[in-house]
Amino acid sequence: MLAPARPAIVRLQPGATLRAALPWALAAAVAIVVPHLIAGGFGLSLLCRMGIAIVFALSFNMLLGQGGMLDFGHAVFLGLGGFLSMHALRLADGGLWLPTPLLPLAGALGGLLAAVLAGWVATRRAGTAFAMITLGVAELVVAIVLLFPSVFGGEEGLTGDRSAGPRLFGLDYGPQIQAYYVIAAWAWFAALLMWLYTRTPLGRLVNAVRDNPERVGFVGYDPARIRMLVFMLSGLFAGIAGGLAVINDEIITSQAIGPGASESVLLMTFIGGIGTFWGPVLGAVLVTFLQVALSTITDAWLLYSGLLFVAMVVWAPGGLSGIILAHAPIIRAGLGGRLVRPYAAVLPGAALALLGVVALSELAFRVQAVRNGGSPRPVFGVAVDPETALPWIVPSALFLAGAWLLHRLYPAAREAWQEASVAAQAMPNAVPAQAAP
Amino acid sequence: MTPALRIEDLHRSFGPTHIIRGIDMEVAAGERHAMIGPNGAGKSTLFHLITGRLAPDKGRVVLHGQDITGLPPYEVFRLGLARSFQVTSLFPHLSVFENLRAAAMRTAGCGHAFWRMLDGYGALRDRAEDVMLQLGLERRRDVEAGSLAYAEQRALEIGVAIAGGARTLLLDEPTAGMSRAETERAVTLIRRVSEGRTLVIIEHDLGVVFDLADRITVLAEGRVIASGPPDQVRGDPAVRTAYLGAAAEVLH
Repeated sequence: MLAPARPAIVRLQPGATLRAALPWALAAAVAIVVPHLIAGGFGLSLLCRMGIAIVFALSFNMLLGQGGMLDFGHAVFLGLGGFLSMHALRLADGGLWLPTPLLPLAGALGGLLAAVLAGWVATRRAGTAFAMITLGVAELVVAIVLLFPSVFGGEEGLTGDRSAGPRLFGLDYGPQIQAYYVIAAWAWFAALLMWLYTRTPLGRLVNAVRDNPERVGFVGYDPARIRMLVFMLSGLFAGIAGGLAVINDEIITSQAIGPGASESVLLMTFIGGIGTFWGPVLGAVLVTFLQVALSTITDAWLLYSGLLFVAMVVWAPGGLSGIILAHAPIIRAGLGGRLVRPYAAVLPGAALALLGVVALSELAFRVQAVRNGGSPRPVFGVAVDPETALPWIVPSALFLAGAWLLHRLYPAAREAWQEASVAAQAMPNAVPAQAAP
Repeated sequence: MTPALRIEDLHRSFGPTHIIRGIDMEVAAGERHAMIGPNGAGKSTLFHLITGRLAPDKGRVVLHGQDITGLPPYEVFRLGLARSFQVTSLFPHLSVFENLRAAAMRTAGCGHAFWRMLDGYGALRDRAEDVMLQLGLERRRDVEAGSLAYAEQRALEIGVAIAGGARTLLLDEPTAGMSRAETERAVTLIRRVSEGRTLVIIEHDLGVVFDLADRITVLAEGRVIASGPPDQVRGDPAVRTAYLGAAAEVLH
């Protein structure tokens, strides 16, 4: 047999760098323009929260999606980074030369130090043991934080004034729009670093550790050491998010470290999708929006985010980015039209079921209000008495009808998707799914 | 001359079961050495003991004069010993190329770098591409290892073992489950990549064994019952009774 001729291997596709740079340029442009498109301080503070959440969720996915490490205490790094930033801010208020935009550096240091300590214990193990250790460490840190009110401010936390420090570029960073641009710049920069890291030896080795830690040992690497290094980097970036949170809020409490914040980042990352780099960005933006928007219109918002999480885990474990990736080749092949009708057929059922679930949840929360002696707010503009049967029967019926419709029509939609993806793959000019070079 | 691999009085038990019962053997540098023996003879366990996946209860493993007994797998690898697995053990969500690249990183000097882009390691990419061509997997470059056909996974299993260019190579039943044609292809590959290296191979296909091996060691019930050049082992009465049995006609 003749040795096959060595095919010309494309070294660097012309324009590859440009194509990689495009999303980053676009993101920068959006971040610069978007505060001028939305009105009001509420929107601006929402954007700031999103920026912080993006960094936090991306740092979380360095562990979960890229490294197979489920960290139940990720808020420890954001929180301790935040506390160190707050102390730095207070020192700056007292005369130290540390302009507000540089506070996230203190956050990075805090997150890194916390990760060195926690990782020293946690990263020796993988899988369930790792997750359990992080849970324990998180509990421990919350307890310690409350134990030292002189350092962490106790229940009330610590406050600072971001405008009282030294000026940089002639700005005092008091106005929210200035804080926004500091946060946006940091979020962009931190995200870029985290993306570049995925293309380094360590960033790829941790994928191998996720897939098969034992074999990693037999190609010359200590999987525990790789986990430790990645854990430290992840803590560092989470700490940056903590520094940004301090700039935004000018207050930090033990809540920033607590289990609620750790759950929240898991929710965001998973809903966005752990299988892609950019999935957590989507999740951070969407979940932050829902948390802020829903919490202003309903008391039941925690319940909704829980339902959303469960629904995603069950029906779309790849998250939003997984859904997008499943449809991108179909749309690129120009076959998207085939899906419109079967997908539209599913919508009424989904809408009915959702309406039923929402109405039932709202009713459940009204019961509480009535028991506390208040009068219940109307549900969807209808005055209801949650202690009678009718308000429960109607949404239950809606839900059941919707669920039945979904059950009938969903298989057709699924089949249409399968046929379309097979057809898209069979197209002569189909682009094979490229793993990153 | 120092042997590539020397094993001295190696023992290992699992609970009350004494699996490896005092193995002594030597593999000369540059030799192709086959290990055969009935199922349960302890061949794979011996590989695990050599490569640090398991620690022996007693005895020594010496690689090029250096004692590697009880070292973790990554240190054994760094001293120049790589292995493949009988049960395919790849990185299922990495592409074929990424599997080979990960396997070659240590020798390419990547360390744990997170400050330097992988694109900057030209020799690493060349090495992974080169092994991919040798395996005949270049058309499957960007396919996830977990989605490959069985024979392709077996080929990649060998590739991950050889990509780091280790001086001593341990292959655990590399052709298991392969068709006749695939086996021939794999043997050609193994012969080529073991050129100038030391090879220890566990193999059930006696055709492959007698075709490839300079020396053969026969294991039964955790002990070496024969060791020597193929002709000598072929004629050894102890081997014939203890192991070959029904398979004996293959030899004629």
